[in-house]
Amino acid sequence: MQAFGYTGKILRVDLGTGKITTNDTLKYKDFIGGEGIAMKIMWDEVGPGIKPYDPANKIIFGTGPLCGTGAPCSGRTNITSLLPSSPFYGVASSHMGGYFATELKYAGWDMIVVEGKAASPVWLRIEDGKVKIEDARWMWGKGIFDTQAMVTSFMGSQAQVAAIGQAGENLVNLSVIRTGSSHSAGGHGGVMGSKNLKAIGVIGTGSVKIAADPKAWMELDKYMMSLIGANNQMVVPSHPQPWAEFNNPTSRWTGRKGLYWGAANPPVETGECNPHDMQSVGYRTQKAVFDLGPGAEKYTVRMGGCSHCPIRCHAQLKVPELERYGMDPYVANTCVGWSGPRGVMFKGYKPLAGKTAEETRVIANAVGTKLADDYGVWCNYAQLGRDIAYCYNKGVFKRVLSAEEYASIPWDMLLNGDPAFYFDFYDRVSNKKGEFSHIADGSYWIAQRWNLGDDYWNDKDNKLWTRGGYPVHHSNESGAQVGALISCFSNRDAQNHSHMNYIGSKLPLALQKEIAGEIFGSPDAYDAPSNYTPMNEYKARFVKWSLDRSLLHNSLTLCNWMWPMAVSPLKERKYRGDTSLEAKFYSLATGIKMSEAELDDAAARCFTLFRAITVRQMGTFDMRKEHDQTTKWVTAQEKAKDGSYMKQFTPGTIAMEEQDMQLGLTMVYKQFGWDEKTGAPTKAGLEKHGMADVAKDLASRGLLPA
Amino acid sequence: MENQEPSPEITPKALPLVEAIRAASKGGALVTQRTLEKEFPDLNVHALITESGVKDLKKMEGSSDVYYFSDLSMTEAYAVFMYRINEKDPVRLIAETVRDDSRIYPRPTPVATFREPPFSLSARDVEEALGRMTLRPDLEDIKRSSASNGALYLYSSQFLSEAQGDALTEWFEVGVRENP
Ligand code: SF4
Repeated sequence: MQAFGYTGKILRVDLGTGKITTNDTLKYKDFIGGEGIAMKIMWDEVGPGIKPYDPANKIIFGTGPLCGTGAPCSGRTNITSLLPSSPFYGVASSHMGGYFATELKYAGWDMIVVEGKAASPVWLRIEDGKVKIEDARWMWGKGIFDTQAMVTSFMGSQAQVAAIGQAGENLVNLSVIRTGSSHSAGGHGGVMGSKNLKAIGVIGTGSVKIAADPKAWMELDKYMMSLIGANNQMVVPSHPQPWAEFNNPTSRWTGRKGLYWGAANPPVETGECNPHDMQSVGYRTQKAVFDLGPGAEKYTVRMGGCSHCPIRCHAQLKVPELERYGMDPYVANTCVGWSGPRGVMFKGYKPLAGKTAEETRVIANAVGTKLADDYGVWCNYAQLGRDIAYCYNKGVFKRVLSAEEYASIPWDMLLNGDPAFYFDFYDRVSNKKGEFSHIADGSYWIAQRWNLGDDYWNDKDNKLWTRGGYPVHHSNESGAQVGALISCFSNRDAQNHSHMNYIGSKLPLALQKEIAGEIFGSPDAYDAPSNYTPMNEYKARFVKWSLDRSLLHNSLTLCNWMWPMAVSPLKERKYRGDTSLEAKFYSLATGIKMSEAELDDAAARCFTLFRAITVRQMGTFDMRKEHDQTTKWVTAQEKAKDGSYMKQFTPGTIAMEEQDMQLGLTMVYKQFGWDEKTGAPTKAGLEKHGMADVAKDLASRGLLPA
Repeated sequence: MENQEPSPEITPKALPLVEAIRAASKGGALVTQRTLEKEFPDLNVHALITESGVKDLKKMEGSSDVYYFSDLSMTEAYAVFMYRINEKDPVRLIAETVRDDSRIYPRPTPVATFREPPFSLSARDVEEALGRMTLRPDLEDIKRSSASNGALYLYSSQFLSEAQGDALTEWFEVGVRENP
């Protein structure tokens, strides 16, 4: 049967036996694609007790039915596996952009399931339907940049390559899988390493077929493009502009007259970027200056990004000063790809000789980012830097390292803000040299290993959201209870931007509230910033919607750093977006008609399955107590500038309130149809989603609430 | 632009004035009555524009001149910024912008904003304006807050409490960038 949207085929590679087989994607279509299907495979095939680096673990590279269709921002790859940094090796997903996912689709594959362990290092070569396991002994020990060059030297420059560096090879928990020059999926590099899989190269010469009449597709695409904003769906420019009613200095819509891609030849002015001009969408987000400050303008060659994305949120720079460090001058990244390595130098950078502070910030950060990207080290959403700061400032390193090892670390460079520190740091961590390198085991594991205790978990500046070792990632600062509750359900940092792509729109409060009312049933779903109200049902709906949509996007696969389109930059639409776009694209692409509510429900099925896997892995159904609790600082009263404590629900504080958070959990459990006491999926809830088999399995293990 | 009643046909006499205003707005600028009078000395500028009935033309009374813009290519919000800039009164420009930000979004305003386009005030102008503001009882509501990195923000206590002003200053200046 001709599959539309989907290629219809899942590639399975058993590295232990060398067996390469194919599965039918459509038998999994109730789980949408990408992350949803990966959850189903993990449930079916990776039982409890398996550890991330065991050959029995699987790693699943997934695309969805919208990837490769040209739908805006649809070039993402979802990677699902057990997560080494999680205390119970929870199932989790990491994501990367670039061009890997679309190339995989063009090669005829929706997903790759890698299982087993190769006897010696290998790489996987995919050229359309031709799949081969190749010898990677020569690549082993190399950084990601060299590895990519080696794979393309075999396959040709069209090949898209996903690879690990030394960190992944050496089973460093905080390691990435990277594709392109800057697209990293954090957390699963070591799983690839444990399978002796150095890289995957793919070339696809086919196409993705869609069910719809091309005219209808193009119309929808054009409509979508009229609603799109800048990165993170910020729909308000950073500076006042003649066309704009609103502005916000923290907006990612930085494009304006007088701001350039300064290292382009000739320099390119980003310009006014009127929202009605579709051709200038790619100039709206001058991300280099947003991420690295005004000093980055003159180093900016252009913006890069993922396939089929008009936004281009990855800054591509030429920093000639990198040559002083023996590096080529080209460097690219976005968001925490910059701020993660910057955080490692927690004392900041000291201006380099002959350079301003603004220039130094770019040069020094570029050194760190380049090394992190080559060794393939993950920053755990910037927690790695905070952990270093904590352990240094609290004397932990002095306590746990031998005197000899302690003396061997160039602390003076770190304390003096010299970016040459990065060379020592990333080598130590990636090659697991000494006790210090355990800093990259992840927060939970260092807390165990170095006996860090309550002070570590409850330190507000340390930003650890749960005792699972996951940091804040758009938590209570983002919609108060909404972000706070979203952050409780993941097995890693929440990595959820569904709420942020609306909360962070930068529109005025009154408009935001109106829009919240339309989507979630009441304006009370959204509070004024730093002035929040007690939990209510509408916030719970907002939480569920955000969790569903994030999983939906990782399944379709769409970029959750842009989608959903709750808002738009269009005054004539009163800044309304359209939350039914995913369903419209899905229906047109696949020919399977789905309403917005039906697609959200399919996402809720996947999220419930994710929850069931977590229950099975943890061996308890008391999710409220064992999984969903935050660290103590989250509910501790904050201090005002005058030293007095601010009571919760008063202006100026975003500290959560204990009872209110518990009520919030109950309300969210109810929204999902889970057990309101424990937060575990119930028999009825699972059966409603067509997962009686899951209910039966959990019941047989005593893991189904009464 | 929003739906508007169609404008009556533009008379040949008013046409050059309408065109001049629309062209300036397209370039992001206001036009003053005095400029138009200089450019079109034979025309009764004010009367012609007022009587033309052209819906997209808007007027703002300044302290010593009248400003015109066309909302076909310039929003009222931007025109107000331009108006404040043209009035060359940095104290008023800063105070009114800060009050708007605190009321509408609500958020404190980074002082650095006024050094950037479209305001582009000199460091001295900003410093002097901040100094003069503290002496004005009618601007008592304009409060200062500073972030942990030393950046200075302003907010209006009419719309934001001190605690909110402080918290949001820290969030916008430091938090947003640490939480991308
Ligand atoms: S917004 Fe950025 S991360 Fe998302 S698809 Fe576009 S380039 Fe990739």
